[in-house]
Amino acid sequence: MLATLSRITHERRSIYLALLVAFMACSTAGSAHEIGTTRVSVLFQGRQSYDIEIVTDASALIDKLRAVSGQSSSTTPTPVNMQSVLQNFDDKFRQRINVVFDGAEAHPGIAYSVTPGNGSTSASVATIRLTGQIPPGAQNFTWTYAWTFASYGMTVRKAASENPSTQWLEGGQRSAPFPLAALAPVVGRLTVARRYFSLGFTHIVPLGLDHMLFVLGIFLLSGRVRSVLLQVSAFTVAHSITLGLTMYGLVTVSPRIVEPLIAISIAYIAIENIFLSELKSWRVALVFAFGLMHGMGFAGALKELGLPRSEFVTALLTFNIGVEAGQLAVIGAGFLLVGWHCANRPWYRSRVVVPASMMIACTAVYWTVVRLGL
Amino acid sequence: MLRRLIPSTWLFALIAIGMSQAPLLAHDMWIEPTTFSPRVGEIVGVKLRVGQDMLGDPLPRDSSLIKQFLFEDAEGSKPVIGRDGNDPAGFLRVAEPGLLVIGYRSNASAVELPPEKFNQYLKDEGLDGIAALRAARNQSGSPAHEAFARCAKSLVLAGPPTDKQGDRWLGFTLELLAEKNPYTIPSGGELPVRLTYENRPLAGALVVAMNRGNPLEKVALRTDKDGRVRFRLASSGMWLIKAVHMIPVPPGGNAEWASFWASITFDLPKM
Repeated sequence: MLATLSRITHERRSIYLALLVAFMACSTAGSAHEIGTTRVSVLFQGRQSYDIEIVTDASALIDKLRAVSGQSSSTTPTPVNMQSVLQNFDDKFRQRINVVFDGAEAHPGIAYSVTPGNGSTSASVATIRLTGQIPPGAQNFTWTYAWTFASYGMTVRKAASENPSTQWLEGGQRSAPFPLAALAPVVGRLTVARRYFSLGFTHIVPLGLDHMLFVLGIFLLSGRVRSVLLQVSAFTVAHSITLGLTMYGLVTVSPRIVEPLIAISIAYIAIENIFLSELKSWRVALVFAFGLMHGMGFAGALKELGLPRSEFVTALLTFNIGVEAGQLAVIGAGFLLVGWHCANRPWYRSRVVVPASMMIACTAVYWTVVRLGL
Repeated sequence: MLRRLIPSTWLFALIAIGMSQAPLLAHDMWIEPTTFSPRVGEIVGVKLRVGQDMLGDPLPRDSSLIKQFLFEDAEGSKPVIGRDGNDPAGFLRVAEPGLLVIGYRSNASAVELPPEKFNQYLKDEGLDGIAALRAARNQSGSPAHEAFARCAKSLVLAGPPTDKQGDRWLGFTLELLAEKNPYTIPSGGELPVRLTYENRPLAGALVVAMNRGNPLEKVALRTDKDGRVRFRLASSGMWLIKAVHMIPVPPGGNAEWASFWASITFDLPKM
């Protein structure tokens, strides 16, 4: 918990410093401003919807909301209560924000959340998310936020993958109009599905050599189709579970743990192939357990690629199907190259399975050492 | 509760500036330590706040703005340390019992204000001389280019108060100096405060005091010929006393006007 909070604080400082550096770079000498801790990020999803995130000091905001409501500010709410306090002030809060399309004010949905500060001196941070639909045909967007006395940076992105443009504003100052004509049309579901299927496939072939070797290890155990099918099914079910859970934020394991474990799982499967020639039930259970780890690895890669918020489920499912297709391609290639002709030959184990498994094991042990940083 | 704050010799005025929807660029800036009554050995966070009516937004540490950020105790002057981007902007360690004087002096920040806002700000801060000068120059309808600098102080007490303890002059361009240790003043007692500009008493300047319990109920006094005002401290809790001074800048620079914002904070315990 503490480590997470420390990370959040560090990230917050990093973002602030990045904004500060950007600001210093574009300001003239002697014209420094007093930049506060508030920042605003605007994200447009094509020409369809907007998502505005305000990050600000929770206590300072609550004090101001109370003051304009004529309430005493002598007691500070606990971080746990701050979220409900902010929700109760929703009407007041809306009075000093303006989301405007072509001169007409929009009425966004607003969600409030508060992250407690780390330790006695660090402040609790309010994250306020404003969401809504862009009116059809809207040409420009302007923004006003009058709940801060300090200068703040507003970043606007035309899509999740775009670099943001930054405006520096004073509290209460209206932003320059942001043209919406340049926004890309919303990417269709089919396009997303095609793109993420392709990303899933290429994450195995040719980019995921470790996953390829694991699947080859499964394939090499026995020439029987049943053996391969059972293991691949267990692996698929397991990695689908952890891929989904990780992407939804329900499971979080550091890549520093997952990546070495993936390497160890490959080494184990390959070494077991040397001593085992037929499928045992514990092997299926082990492949399932290893599949859980590989799923977290897939999730790490998918997070780096980024998922479109509007098509999250489509992207997640098609990425996973792409991964399955990649695995089947590896197994298919294995069958075509050696399995089809040689699996029933007496020399298959000694000349193919054992040497190939030894090579896989050596590679995986090397990866384990590298990934552990030994 | 009505606060009874008696003016010393000059003008008495109550100013209630509500939060305006339009941007008000003339904001107070003050120091708000994590505690005003630390134990010896305690680390105190020095928070910088910008706002009005004692409703402040955090100002994280920004080394490009800092001219001086220090504190003085019986041992002398020491830096308030910290990392850029952090709030609190700095930290200090209380080495021994006594009154600590914390000071933050900033480099100038430049702003351009539309005429109506600048004129209102001159009125609010009692800068009548500048308003008259703008009128004489026929500039009252023109936007103003201003460079403002902060001169904030805070008094923190470790251990019991004594009469020997006192505020110290830090040499800020504009500086408010508490001429008595506020922590020794009994409830309802008077605190003499002196305002200096470039080491000389500043006469006729508006000094405003407010208490966190009711910051809208401000007391504004003009300094006498010795730069002095006296505020009656009828309430416990955190006090902010502030003053603004503005001078015309010779042509050729980025700004036509240079302003200096002095403040001093302390927190009287409940009796």
